[in-house]
Amino acid sequence: MRVIPRPRRASDAGTSHLYSRWTPYLFLLPYLLVFLLFRLGPSIFGLAMSFTNWSIVGSPEWVGTANYELMQIDPRLEAALKNTAFFTGLTVPLLVVLSLALAIFLNQPHKGRAIGRVAAFTPYVLMSTVVGVLWTWLLEKDFGLLNVYLEKLGIDGLPWLVSQDVAMYGIILTTVWWTIGYGMVLFLAGLQDIPTELYEAARIDGANSLRLLRHITLPLLAPTTFVVLMLTIINSFQVFDQVYVMTSGGPGTSTLTLVQYIYTTAFQNLRMGYGAAVATLLFAILIVFALVQAYLYRRGVTGATT
Amino acid sequence: MSATRLLGKVIWYVLLVALVVVMLAPIVWMLSTSFKPETEITTIDIHWVPRTFTLENYERVFERFNILRWTANSLIVSTAATALVLLLDSLAGYALARMQFAGRGLIFGIILSMLFVPVQITVVPLFLMFSEVSLTDTYLALILPVGANVTGVFLMRQFFLNIPYELEDAARVDGASTLRIWWSVVLPLAKPALTAVAIVTFLSTWNSFFWPLIATRTDASRTLPVGIAQFMSLRPGQAQGAQAYGQAMAGAVIAALPPVIVFYMLQRYFIEGISMTGIKG
Repeated sequence: MRVIPRPRRASDAGTSHLYSRWTPYLFLLPYLLVFLLFRLGPSIFGLAMSFTNWSIVGSPEWVGTANYELMQIDPRLEAALKNTAFFTGLTVPLLVVLSLALAIFLNQPHKGRAIGRVAAFTPYVLMSTVVGVLWTWLLEKDFGLLNVYLEKLGIDGLPWLVSQDVAMYGIILTTVWWTIGYGMVLFLAGLQDIPTELYEAARIDGANSLRLLRHITLPLLAPTTFVVLMLTIINSFQVFDQVYVMTSGGPGTSTLTLVQYIYTTAFQNLRMGYGAAVATLLFAILIVFALVQAYLYRRGVTGATT
Repeated sequence: MSATRLLGKVIWYVLLVALVVVMLAPIVWMLSTSFKPETEITTIDIHWVPRTFTLENYERVFERFNILRWTANSLIVSTAATALVLLLDSLAGYALARMQFAGRGLIFGIILSMLFVPVQITVVPLFLMFSEVSLTDTYLALILPVGANVTGVFLMRQFFLNIPYELEDAARVDGASTLRIWWSVVLPLAKPALTAVAIVTFLSTWNSFFWPLIATRTDASRTLPVGIAQFMSLRPGQAQGAQAYGQAMAGAVIAALPPVIVFYMLQRYFIEGISMTGIKG
């Protein structure tokens, strides 16, 4: 027999006597304990630390906003901010556009598309440090595969990871190759949700493929695009692993990113108060993005789809 | 018409081949390099199949590095963290979805708000906390923070919101306790959600780098990603002097192989888990 769900909510009268008033809290307790100790607590503690001169040696003192004042005249932080913005500004559009194109391409009803999907997603299965190690070799200046092939095509290879001017492009290239499959999977899921009747109806009306793409596929993918955009922006601002393995922020400060700077400051130079302040700055940046996105979401995406 | 269609199809297949080559060539090159002697590696002569096939790089890697230990550490930590997350999140998600109690909205709100707080802000305090109780370099330090994840609770709650009440009611009439209902009625129904949460948790813990890099100081306590990261200290001009890309690639292959094989076997679940958490998380 099929169970037909009756619309009902936990707030309906009559459910509360079925369990003791403490039961919900007992169910929540284990998670909340871990959550308080290892997430909420440290987050608040981190914010508080940003107002101290905490380091491994000596006892920490409140220094008010001194860390934040120092941040305004810190050239390394300025470099880290610029680099992170540059990385995000280039990686995000590349990833969104390419993974969307890839999803549309691999959604065509041709045999063999499954192979394409698996191939495109495979790099994403690799751990970040494997990707970092692998691409350090591929981008090697003299014997790396990329430069050797470029030379064969008569193009001068680039000193990918050893020159201040191009090192960040090496990191971006690596990141796009590594994570393109992730966006593709999300877009493919979005494409499945578009009813095929829409395409059939439009075709009967004589619309060509380009018009279908422009007037059906892209508008109906807007919510997915929004999610992919949001996730890639957040991830890009927190880029660290590839950078740590491939360049450690170098040469000079050319690939120093915010999180790399937090790591170096707090755990190599042991200026933990200042590191916490930089982490707070990252938090503030992400909050601004979240607010902008929430605003856009309410205005744009819902308006476009309904 | 059929001519353009044929042309379209040919172009599509050409692009497909190009795509597969671009995405997989780096991985094939990693394999190829790992089986070459060092003299055949640092050359502009490209041979996809090694002319001299050698296992020397792999032998060196096992000799010089604790790579088996790192793999074991990663397995233990990822498995334990996944079990912990499944237990905590399905309990908490059930309460948040199905029970009525004072402070429910507030508690859920606070949990969700942490989605916007980057984990980087927690690592300095976490490191100090674990140092304070001398727990750095332990599995506990790597496992417990994973238990505080937010997406798992969110996913479980979303799932529990949508299962019919009738089954629970029937069990309740039979006199089952809430814990019993959660265990023997609700959890079996929640298998799809549990699978998704398990896959995503395991993967993210297995690949996790930032916190393990900070929380582990001794070589024996490292996880695989942290161990692999130091292969590039073999870079020319650094510590080991000699150009040892062969060994670096051998290490990378050892670390990459298990996840890639598991991925090819469990593809569907991977993709489902990722699209589920991506869209809803």
